[in-house]
Amino acid sequence: MFRLIKERLKEGLKPEKIEIKDENIEILGNELKDIIDKYFNGSFTIREVDSGSCNACEYEISALSNPYYDVERFGIKFVASPKHADAILITGCLTRNMYEAVMKAYENVPHPKFVIAVGDCTLDGGVFKGSYGIMDGINGKIPVDVWIKGCPPEPIDIISGILKLLKSKI
Amino acid sequence: MIEEVLSPIKDYIKGYRFNQNNQLVLEVSDFNLANVSSYLFRDLDCDLVTVVATDDRFTEDECFTLRYIYSYPKKNLFFIIENKVKSEFNSLSNNIPALNWYEREIKDMFGLIPLNHPDPRPLVLFPENFPSNVHPLRKDFNVSDRPNFKNYGKYEYKSVEGEGVFNILVGPIHASIIEPGHFRFSLAGEHILQLEIRHFWKHRGIEKLAEGKKPEDVIDLVSKISGDHTVAHTLAYLQAIENLSNTKIPLKAKYIRVLFLELERLMCNINDVAWLFQDVAYSFGAQGMFILKEELMRLNKTLSRNRFNKNVLTIGGVNLDIDKEKVGSIIDKLSYITEKYFFYKNILLSSASILDRFETTGRIKYETVKDLSCVGYIARSSNRHSDMRKQHPFLIYDKLAFSSQTFEEGDCFARLMCRFADIEDSISIIKEILSDLPDGEIYTQPNPVVPNSWTIGYSEGQRGSTVHFVKVDKDGNIDRLKVRDPSFNNWQAIQFAVLGDIVADFPLVNKSLNLSYAGNDL
Repeated sequence: MFRLIKERLKEGLKPEKIEIKDENIEILGNELKDIIDKYFNGSFTIREVDSGSCNACEYEISALSNPYYDVERFGIKFVASPKHADAILITGCLTRNMYEAVMKAYENVPHPKFVIAVGDCTLDGGVFKGSYGIMDGINGKIPVDVWIKGCPPEPIDIISGILKLLKSKI
Repeated sequence: MIEEVLSPIKDYIKGYRFNQNNQLVLEVSDFNLANVSSYLFRDLDCDLVTVVATDDRFTEDECFTLRYIYSYPKKNLFFIIENKVKSEFNSLSNNIPALNWYEREIKDMFGLIPLNHPDPRPLVLFPENFPSNVHPLRKDFNVSDRPNFKNYGKYEYKSVEGEGVFNILVGPIHASIIEPGHFRFSLAGEHILQLEIRHFWKHRGIEKLAEGKKPEDVIDLVSKISGDHTVAHTLAYLQAIENLSNTKIPLKAKYIRVLFLELERLMCNINDVAWLFQDVAYSFGAQGMFILKEELMRLNKTLSRNRFNKNVLTIGGVNLDIDKEKVGSIIDKLSYITEKYFFYKNILLSSASILDRFETTGRIKYETVKDLSCVGYIARSSNRHSDMRKQHPFLIYDKLAFSSQTFEEGDCFARLMCRFADIEDSISIIKEILSDLPDGEIYTQPNPVVPNSWTIGYSEGQRGSTVHFVKVDKDGNIDRLKVRDPSFNNWQAIQFAVLGDIVADFPLVNKSLNLSYAGNDL
């Protein structure tokens, strides 16, 4: 056991030596952190809702928490309940089957709230536009504060989208 | 050889013919269907690949056609049972449980009634917001027809009763950043008595959207069936189209396709392993694996300008060449990843407290995997081999050396070990093809597709075999596209995996299966 701990401590320092800080993220992130510290007391909470995406957007949003981006250090936190959230982040083309659940999640975010739409199909259904199974995106159904385009948008685009939102609304 | 295999059922089949090279079509009347299916599934130990219904009422057949597709790896054959039906058909789900969801799907999408089905509830179209007379894949239904949005009925959930039994309902929206699905746990104390899953919240109507379009116009749609498996789905679709048009792609294009398929498998497996580490509180390893995943996605971006390698494949070959410089960057990245990967893996394997969470958790029996025709690592970690690369080799997989291991236990640990084995396989395959990359063209002009024909195309994604059935009409446009994501066969297994476990283990079991909701729901 002791040998294991020793080995882990010795080897455990390794990953820190890797250059994992990206300049763009640092610049955007620090701006973001200043705003979040000033207006949100250090924490800006987001509830992520998938309304019918292909899961690539989810892949990129969960990448925001990996050591390269680590958005939590700027004060951005993904929360489990919409009632705890400052903003709701919606991906996907809004399917008919998800409509009610998405609306309920939106209504349960307390005012004042922001809506962040991520991905091309959130706007008008994208490649799935016109299908019987979907509602052609959330445009016109939920007031959107910022659109983050891309299929899927890269993590850096999502961070700059959130920064754009906060700069324009505050 | 064929006569020998078919001799026990020769009285039940009207005739047989080859559709494409390894697709053997058996003509069977509804009356003998049960006998033939039972022989294939039980006696020959075939896997159910998919069931495809087509609406041929407006052709000379004037009926619906059901095609039950079975895979027979021993002879590299696909058996396809053709059954023509008017409005109802005999359900075989009691003998072949893998058919359960397929028959319910056909009932929803085509309005054909499976007689004596053990569970005739709607599957894809929710009674809460679709009227029961809407069947989207019928030819007389227009893709953009949207029935009025109102409550048409109620879905009946199963119930468990008894003293102290209570239910926990989860979803469709989950706590973390994952896709929507509904889970209902029935518990007595901490132990799970029953788990009922309800999916298809993300049903987007992909199969209907493809109809009437030119084959090349569907590639974009197909690449968005399941975002993390974009290469596997695109490849399955392209192989079907190239089968139909008898297009032979150049050797170098085959190598590049294998490269991108394996890069995708590697990325998904590393991501899965990272989440598994996270769920057993081995955060140090998890974050390390997330770094490797991000490194791979950045490698993808330098290769194809897209972090998921979307738009790399095209009909007739690939869109981008791999030159010396790119080979070098891939090799460098791989050796970095290999070193780190073994480092995190070895720490995990030497820690009894972490292993304890994995071992005996979420066990799936061999019989369950067989009955549900599970594919991919779920089948292989329950000691049943399932790998299209070995069973029905495509591209250049018959020339490559890789192990495609199976494991006996069927628990979360076996599925973790299976991921490890797959990661090591992928790394060795990529190294092998890069050292041996031929020169030459990467694209050939495809021939036009043969009108009024159909075929299946398949690939092996990270989750398992990905199969596309494509039928084209007299103008060469898509008449029917049936997509079988591996998750569709695998989802039902989760209901058996959690039995007897405690709720706190569910996140781990779910992550160890890591199925796609988008690919399942279509």
